[in-house]
Amino acid sequence: MILEDSLSQSSLNADFKLIDRDLIADLWHSRFGMPPDAFQSFSFYRKARMIWMFSEAMLPPFRLETAGLRIMSMRKGPWKPTTYALQLLGRYATKNVVSLDEDGARMFIAGGTFEIEADLEEGYVIATFEGQVLGCALYSRGRLISQLPKERRRPDDP
Amino acid sequence: MDHLDRYRRIIPDYPLFCEAMIQPLPVCVRINSLKTSADDLMSRLDKARLSYRRLGWYRWGLRLNGIRPGLLIEHLMGHIHPQEESSMIPPLVLDPQPGEKVLDLCASPGSKTTQIAQMMENDGILVANDPSPGRIVALRANCERLGAANVAVTRYDGRAFPRYEFDRILVDAPCSGEGMARKDLTVLKRCNLKRSMGLQRLQQALLGRAVDLTRQGGVIVYSTCTYAPEENEAVVESVLDRVRLIDVDIPGLARSRGLDAWDGNIFGELMGRCARYYPHHNDTGGFFVAKLIKR
Repeated sequence: MILEDSLSQSSLNADFKLIDRDLIADLWHSRFGMPPDAFQSFSFYRKARMIWMFSEAMLPPFRLETAGLRIMSMRKGPWKPTTYALQLLGRYATKNVVSLDEDGARMFIAGGTFEIEADLEEGYVIATFEGQVLGCALYSRGRLISQLPKERRRPDDP
Repeated sequence: MDHLDRYRRIIPDYPLFCEAMIQPLPVCVRINSLKTSADDLMSRLDKARLSYRRLGWYRWGLRLNGIRPGLLIEHLMGHIHPQEESSMIPPLVLDPQPGEKVLDLCASPGSKTTQIAQMMENDGILVANDPSPGRIVALRANCERLGAANVAVTRYDGRAFPRYEFDRILVDAPCSGEGMARKDLTVLKRCNLKRSMGLQRLQQALLGRAVDLTRQGGVIVYSTCTYAPEENEAVVESVLDRVRLIDVDIPGLARSRGLDAWDGNIFGELMGRCARYYPHHNDTGGFFVAKLIKR
């Protein structure tokens, strides 16, 4: 413990790299039309492919398992928002939001794929039900593919 | 139930207590203010014709009638969290504020952690610690589902948590769990004095470390879900030279006072400032809560 106390914050959590807030706000603005204000009170860290959103610019000086919420993953193709980030921030979105009816919501929660008519750009979109965000879906060629994390899915029941 | 007989003299209306212990616990949820409002949530429950009642003492707590909360869409969306009513008490007593530095020393599975996060409005720093990799899985999952963005999870032995100065610390200590027996009566089969004395050593070390880690004038809340004075008053007593005890009394919730003596040990009258919550008083699980200010 004494050794750990003397370590600097940077060497403790060297795998979390602080990244520019504007960079994140721009990505979310261009995909979902969110105002930059939505990100104002948070700082962003990259660890491997994931971007983490944390309340403070300084990480506390401990060996961290997590730092706030994983909000998106950076990959070769388009970046992917997490369902949990959309549930928290999705209410600020002004585009690429799809409102599902009861059947659609049921299929989304079951982790299904279904045809849909909606004004959406190809790629990741925000699925909502009765004005509340359910989570992330992939829109491709007129079909919506649920991206709900597997541990949250429920088999199709009424 | 025989094990509980040792508390016959300290629990008021003991026969009523025994009756309450064999009743099933009411099903409770906490509304997650990070993602929704109480009004929105309740109007959704109304629309779905679900039956619930608001807690008289806590605006974010609801009792549900005949509903399994884990099956509701509101659970998946992170708008509600199933949480036993008395487990909502310690964060309320801790009273964390936005912008503060707070430590939840024994955090898994994260019910109280996420309640603290919502009280802090996702602002400041909330370190959620638990030594067990297995239990951290549940802690992380709850923090994600409920959208707690001010939580940093750590995995230290709480007795040796690294040096720092926190404004507030919750020590919701590992305990024999007698107060949760309404959920599962078999809990009581594992309860005995020897086990409580073993837990006491751990609890005293955790609380002692928490006092080290709190700034002068900062707040420490020590809580358990057991009736055993060995794990409650006797643990608080071990740090009394370094803290002041503050009265714990939540409007709308009946409490009994902490014990001034037990089994030949004198804790003193001041220990009455701690609160004991019994099942037959509020129809909840059992809890012990102490509020301490570091001198």
